[in-house]
Amino acid sequence: MASAEPRPGRRRDEAKVFSIQHFCLHDGPGVRSLIFFKGCPLRCSWCQNPESWDTGPELAFKARLCIGCGTCRLVCSHGAIRVPAHPWRDPSRCRGCFTCAEKCPTGALSRFGEPVTVDGLVEEVRPEFPLYRSSGGGVTLSGGEPTLQPEFAAALAGRLRSYGVSVAVETCGLFDMDGSGAVRDLLNNVDLVLFDVKVYDEESFGRLCGGGGTGAGKAASRIRDNLMALADGLGSRRGPRVWPRLPLIPGMTDGRENLAAWAGFLRKAGFGGLTIVPYHALGESKRVWLGLDRGPALAAPAAEDVEAAAGIFRSVGIRVFSPGEEAWEAGTRAG
Amino acid sequence: MTSSSTPETSLPEPTRRIARIRAELFATPYSVCLERPELLARFRKSAEGRQARREHPLTRRARALAFVFSHRRPRVYSDELIVGNMTSRRIAANYYPEGGSVNILEDIFRLEKRRIPLELSAREKWRLAAVGLGGILGSVAGRALLRPGRIPYFLDFFRAKRYFITEEAGVAHQVVDYRTVVHEGLRKADDEAARRLDSGLMPGGLPLTADQRAFYESVRLTVAGIRDMAANLAAEAERLAAEPGTPAKRRAELAASAAACRRVPYEPARTFLEGLQACWLVHIGLNLEDFEQGLSFGRLDQILYPLYTRDIEEGRLTPELATEILASFCLKTCETMPLYSERIDQYFSGAGVAQGITLGGTDAEGLDVTNELSGLILDAYAMVRTREPALHVRVHAGTPKWFLDKAVAVVQLGCGKPSFFGDGAVVTALEEVGMSPAHARDYAVIGCVEMGSQGRTYNSSDAALFNLPLCLELALNGGRRFPNVPVETVGPDGRRRRRGLGLGGRWRRLGAATPPAKDLGTFEDVVEAFRTQVRHGVDDMAKVLGWLEEVYRVSRPTPVNSILTEGCLERGKDVTWGGALYDFTSIQAAGLADAGDSLLAIKRLVFDEQRFTLEELVSILKANFAGHEALRAELAARFPKYGNGHPEADRMTQIAADAFADAVTSHRNTRGGRYVPGFYSMTCHWGFGRMTGALPNGRPAGTRLSNGLSPADGADRRGPTAVLRSAASLDSRKWANCYALNLKFDSKAVQGGAGRAALASLFETFFDAGGMQVQANVLDAESLRAAQRDPSAHPGIVVRVAGYCAYFNDLQPAVQDEIIERTAHGVG
Ligand code: SF4
Ligand code: SF4
Repeated sequence: MASAEPRPGRRRDEAKVFSIQHFCLHDGPGVRSLIFFKGCPLRCSWCQNPESWDTGPELAFKARLCIGCGTCRLVCSHGAIRVPAHPWRDPSRCRGCFTCAEKCPTGALSRFGEPVTVDGLVEEVRPEFPLYRSSGGGVTLSGGEPTLQPEFAAALAGRLRSYGVSVAVETCGLFDMDGSGAVRDLLNNVDLVLFDVKVYDEESFGRLCGGGGTGAGKAASRIRDNLMALADGLGSRRGPRVWPRLPLIPGMTDGRENLAAWAGFLRKAGFGGLTIVPYHALGESKRVWLGLDRGPALAAPAAEDVEAAAGIFRSVGIRVFSPGEEAWEAGTRAG
Repeated sequence: MTSSSTPETSLPEPTRRIARIRAELFATPYSVCLERPELLARFRKSAEGRQARREHPLTRRARALAFVFSHRRPRVYSDELIVGNMTSRRIAANYYPEGGSVNILEDIFRLEKRRIPLELSAREKWRLAAVGLGGILGSVAGRALLRPGRIPYFLDFFRAKRYFITEEAGVAHQVVDYRTVVHEGLRKADDEAARRLDSGLMPGGLPLTADQRAFYESVRLTVAGIRDMAANLAAEAERLAAEPGTPAKRRAELAASAAACRRVPYEPARTFLEGLQACWLVHIGLNLEDFEQGLSFGRLDQILYPLYTRDIEEGRLTPELATEILASFCLKTCETMPLYSERIDQYFSGAGVAQGITLGGTDAEGLDVTNELSGLILDAYAMVRTREPALHVRVHAGTPKWFLDKAVAVVQLGCGKPSFFGDGAVVTALEEVGMSPAHARDYAVIGCVEMGSQGRTYNSSDAALFNLPLCLELALNGGRRFPNVPVETVGPDGRRRRRGLGLGGRWRRLGAATPPAKDLGTFEDVVEAFRTQVRHGVDDMAKVLGWLEEVYRVSRPTPVNSILTEGCLERGKDVTWGGALYDFTSIQAAGLADAGDSLLAIKRLVFDEQRFTLEELVSILKANFAGHEALRAELAARFPKYGNGHPEADRMTQIAADAFADAVTSHRNTRGGRYVPGFYSMTCHWGFGRMTGALPNGRPAGTRLSNGLSPADGADRRGPTAVLRSAASLDSRKWANCYALNLKFDSKAVQGGAGRAALASLFETFFDAGGMQVQANVLDAESLRAAQRDPSAHPGIVVRVAGYCAYFNDLQPAVQDEIIERTAHGVG
């Protein structure tokens, strides 16, 4: 979807997630489960989770697993599938019924985006509670963009915290804090906000992250305003801890100017710590599965480049960490 | 970026000395040592040997061993702080003509071309051939099985299908009473034997029987032989010390080694160095009398601690020096290796003999006794990072955090060590087979995962391995194997071969005469047929083991072992006669998850959903899914599997496990000991897999089986926590020989302080839930490359990419390349 305004799925009792992963160590303290919500207002060109973009369920095709049995073609009553020639599906005919994914014996055809309930998710993560407890971990709501389904996310966070489970939310920062108040509710209901800082400059942001519709001219500054507001404790003392994370993407976010601008901003907002997440090309496989155009050809940043970027933040007194190595207690606020 | 290790868990770099010894060992090719069989031959021809022919078999055996001990040439290598050569070569396999070493003759024309090459001169090859062929009739297997009516069982060693009898090669697998070795010396046994022989009476006043007299004589003879061996080593160290070129520092070290060998293991050790030296000398003795597998040291941190603290208090020792001595000790364990032909290597890959050291745990009351030395032994291993020794860490509620952290830091080095044991489940299982709580809590790990009360148990802990899924094949086919189909298999070496499924047993019924598939009308009928086949296979195996036990009792007793196993000295009985306080025969199953998942697949496909009749399914399996690729794929990818926290799948695995455990525990060995089950497979899951047809869980014919308690290949789709949940949910009370559960991680996924804390929490949580054993392999770039070439080699590797974990096998080849790059270069 391409509009900043969230669409359906804004239900308190049901949401779409495309993956749940346990034993994750790099998205908040301790051992965590990650719940990936479907739907994102941005289209960052380097995105590693393109299956998160659309709010609705999607069909993915992993050609490597396909044995060419033809089951999918037989069961598709809309004549949308040609096997094994590519493109395998005629999008204009597909009605999104997912019969093919249900019947595909190998899992080559699969569905991204299952409807879930709060109860269902709590039961899914409940067996992990002891591990959260012994490791100081919890649940991280990720995506996609969890703030696109704020009522549901807040209800889930509230339930989990009632069991003593710590909850973090990962956000791209593009949300409307004042609209319905639902996002504010969500953020007040979590222990940690992992806040992406990507592209500072408005024009570049539109080009690199806007994807098309979302630019709206103001996204970058709205993200900064939201981060500043969160840094001020959301106007309350019991607000969540906020932690900025910067994906380091060669040629996109790693420019000196961009980094220096963020360093100045974070310093002013009072942040004492930052995580740098070096780019990785994992998302490439998934773009192919979804039949999307390939993303830009990018290489992972070299260790020196990561160090150079870190140096810019360190020079203004911000401590820099790799994912999973953060000193959560020490580094949130600048000195 | 911040440093990834906190000060309290930092591991030391090797000292220069340790680096030198290590480099020397890594530069040395493997070989075979023929000194032992040649000394045995020399003994037989000697006057003493000829006279001994008329003696009791036990004293004859003790004389022969003592002859080997006292006549083997002593070798002291440069830099080492613990002395005593395991063989006549720097690294070599000892040769056991009485055991299974003869299998190496299969490779005699291609020793250098093996995956694990062996270096021998042409002359040595001739000698090897002569020794090997000359020994067959006198070997344990030869004596037990080269008889009318037993020949097919002899041939089974060359075509293992239902079971592989390790006990044919030797028993070993023992952790003797090193506490007594160190603190009282062999003198204790020698004095006791002298008293019995002098008085001619047992402590109760009954006169000694001929067997008892022979036993006590064997004690004295054996102890004298070990003393000779130690004295010869002392003389060699003294000779080297006196050599003109020897620097003063080395001279002092050699003098200390010589003094130690003049004293221990006969007298009690006075220092930490003497303590370790005593253990090492006894260990050589054990290696030379039985065979090399699984001879373990037990709880060295406990045994040596009093000597360590006294040395520190009295200023003789520093923790650094103690660590270096321990590292030198660890490197000594790398001097030996097993002798397997490449064919046997399919079943026991990797040149390991698993000399286990157990760390941490509790005292008899259940209180934690982890000490400084527990940590130093981990440090010492971090210096050497070699395939031996095996390290085992006991975990219980009171295990200190620093120790668990350090143990996990060693795991992060990527050598697959240490492994972890849950005291709760282990002690329960040992009590279940009759141990007192205090003795159960004093357990130490034998070899890879097996466990015994240290110094009180004769386990035969690796008596045989059992192919559980084959029993399902037999149950589905009226007791016969499926017809042969050509399959492409990938061996542990990564080589692809196209061949038949292994001959043997197809022209006759291999298993029990269970009803044909068409008469198995309910799922319960299938399970019952499976149980019957398992029972039948275990019965057969136990029969062979009984014949072997008989040969051991008469022709191949083990006096060194008996001197140091509680019960023997008290009763005047060798361990092979049932002298030990606790006596077991332990059988392990391979392919548990395959069997459980297959039962569930049959239940759903045939009985719940009725998509096929059982007969139809069986004919699909016989054809190895030919023409039914989609069904195979569906079974493999979409059916619930053990290892995902799926209660029904886990229950089926329990049913399969119970079938095995019930069959095994119904037997007693001929020494009066119990049969106990375990679930691990060395690499038998490859060898057995080659012999096993297609399985209902979608596993194609000829491919490897599931390993130990691990889920079947690629079946764990929900990450390590779900695997551990499934494993912990199984009832392990009857599994007194433990299980092996392997987890694999990309090193990036669990690196640094966060990874360490996470793994520690993961293990603690597992053991809280009733887990028994787990080990984590942190894989490096090389293993990932292997996984890329052959996805079945390392299924289920979780790789981490910032914010996202994925299964390695799921990724596009190019991305796999990239992750391999990253792992190799440590970027990320
Ligand atoms: S059903 Fe699945 S495996 Fe069969 S042809 Fe379609 S995508 Fe391929
Ligand atoms: S989702 Fe439905 S309409 Fe679309 S290809 Fe699959 S079966 Fe056909």
